[in-house]
Amino acid sequence: MKTRTKRRTEPTRSGSFFSAPKATLVDRRRGEGYARVWLAGVDGARSARPGQFIMTRRLGSSALPRAFSVLGVGPGRVELFVKLDGLLRELLGSVPLGTRFELRGPYGVPYEERIEPGKRYVLVGGGSGATPLLFLFDRRPDLVSDLVLGFRHGGADDLFPDLDLVVEATSGQRASDRLADVWRPGLGIIACGPEPMLRTVGRRYLGKPAVYVSLEARLGCGIGSCLGCSIPTAHGTRRICRDGPLFACSELPWLR
Amino acid sequence: MAALTVHTAPFELATPIVLASGPAAFGQELLEALDYATVGALTTKTVTPRPRAGNPQPRLVDCPCGLLNSIGLENPGFDRFVKAYLPAVLDLPTRRIVSLAAERPEGIARMVGRLADVEGIDGLELNLSCPNIDDIVIGSEPAIVGSFVRAVRPEIDLPLLVKLPGDTGSLIASAEAALAAGANGLTLINSVHGLRIDHRVGRPMLHRKTGGLSGPAILPVALACVFEARRAFPDAFLIGTGGVTDAKSLVEMLAAGADAVGIGYGIMANPRLPMDLAVGLSGWLAERRLESLEDVIGAAHRGGFVVP
Repeated sequence: MKTRTKRRTEPTRSGSFFSAPKATLVDRRRGEGYARVWLAGVDGARSARPGQFIMTRRLGSSALPRAFSVLGVGPGRVELFVKLDGLLRELLGSVPLGTRFELRGPYGVPYEERIEPGKRYVLVGGGSGATPLLFLFDRRPDLVSDLVLGFRHGGADDLFPDLDLVVEATSGQRASDRLADVWRPGLGIIACGPEPMLRTVGRRYLGKPAVYVSLEARLGCGIGSCLGCSIPTAHGTRRICRDGPLFACSELPWLR
Repeated sequence: MAALTVHTAPFELATPIVLASGPAAFGQELLEALDYATVGALTTKTVTPRPRAGNPQPRLVDCPCGLLNSIGLENPGFDRFVKAYLPAVLDLPTRRIVSLAAERPEGIARMVGRLADVEGIDGLELNLSCPNIDDIVIGSEPAIVGSFVRAVRPEIDLPLLVKLPGDTGSLIASAEAALAAGANGLTLINSVHGLRIDHRVGRPMLHRKTGGLSGPAILPVALACVFEARRAFPDAFLIGTGGVTDAKSLVEMLAAGADAVGIGYGIMANPRLPMDLAVGLSGWLAERRLESLEDVIGAAHRGGFVVP
């Protein structure tokens, strides 16, 4: 039987049976605590739009994949900006080029489909929360009035030499402080970063129109099925991975 | 893939791969990723009489070789399930097992009674083992397990499975109570009660503190439960669930005595896993020139497989 012969050889040759799309680590630039990482060979992920994320793990691993927001896409490759902590982030930071990954996505609703159209926005990022904002700034500069990216230490400076980052260790300022300097009525806000930063934004701009936050949680499946990332909203329970990651602050009464 | 068919009363399944209750929700999201021809049956997310919002974040915490979850039976409630979700479940090109839980036997019996006339449900699973809630009994008390099954059995002719916890020490007694009360089979096991503490601050990492451990970490626990249950109940239909993530662990679970194998963590990690498992299992059978799964199921009780 033809099919049986095929089935017989396929699994034994590879030793594992994963059919998920595979990607290869082709380039990486490291700053202190952060890295920009390029993965190639990912057909589906190239369609990623700002705000969307991919799920990835080492090829052949049985670990639960991690979600990474997409920084950009190019011919045959997807770029990530990762904080080098946590197991897989360390793996992305220290494994040799050529390492193979299982990668699926993109998932999540693109920011552009969620925000109020016809407005300009201040983009406020903290740490690796800068990732989707940089992607949005690259794709839709017309939507952006200011880009405010905060970091606790200066490690990301070398990775984005053209940007004026807000580094708390040297300036004493946080991203939310700089936001207060540049925001004026009529502008919207899109914030992505650590929860304390999002709470500050939620509290200070309470009741202002077009204020959005991009939420993060440990995702399970990434496709809206496992309910590991459910959160309460004013409209009922929503999934960060499938219904988000962007939510209007007005939907999140707990974010104060 | 004829070799993968399972013929064990009360089920006939196209493959032994069952989507465990929970991570697959009501099967719709997986339609985008998964070829359902490789799935023997979908078990729905557990449905309760009233809607449940589930537990606050964080709900998932990484563990070595697994995941600690605390979803808390988030579900739309029985009425909304029947109206808004069940029709799409019935359209899925696989067998469908509806998972139910309630505080009291009458609660489950009422839901079961309302499903009695629905065409296209292939089985029911009573979830008597969710570790993540306070108000629904845990299936560790054989008398309580028996009372739930006795309440449900007269309501419906469908195959009835009882999902039991693997970490209570009373598995065989509870299983015996379930089968004596008319259950056709058992789903073993649910996730295992566990805890992680953030070492930096000394506090539990899950909002609800303890949760359910799943993934490869619990494979040996599930295997032991299935092995012991098969020894005690040679004729019961068993779905072995816990830590199966590849064809090798799938074969282990079958050899321990499972007629079918549930995947929960595995489908979260890889929505295409059933396809990989089906290909891997077919190849594995072909390599050993085994004609059917009957040669594999329970092999660990018979001195193993004939190795060519």
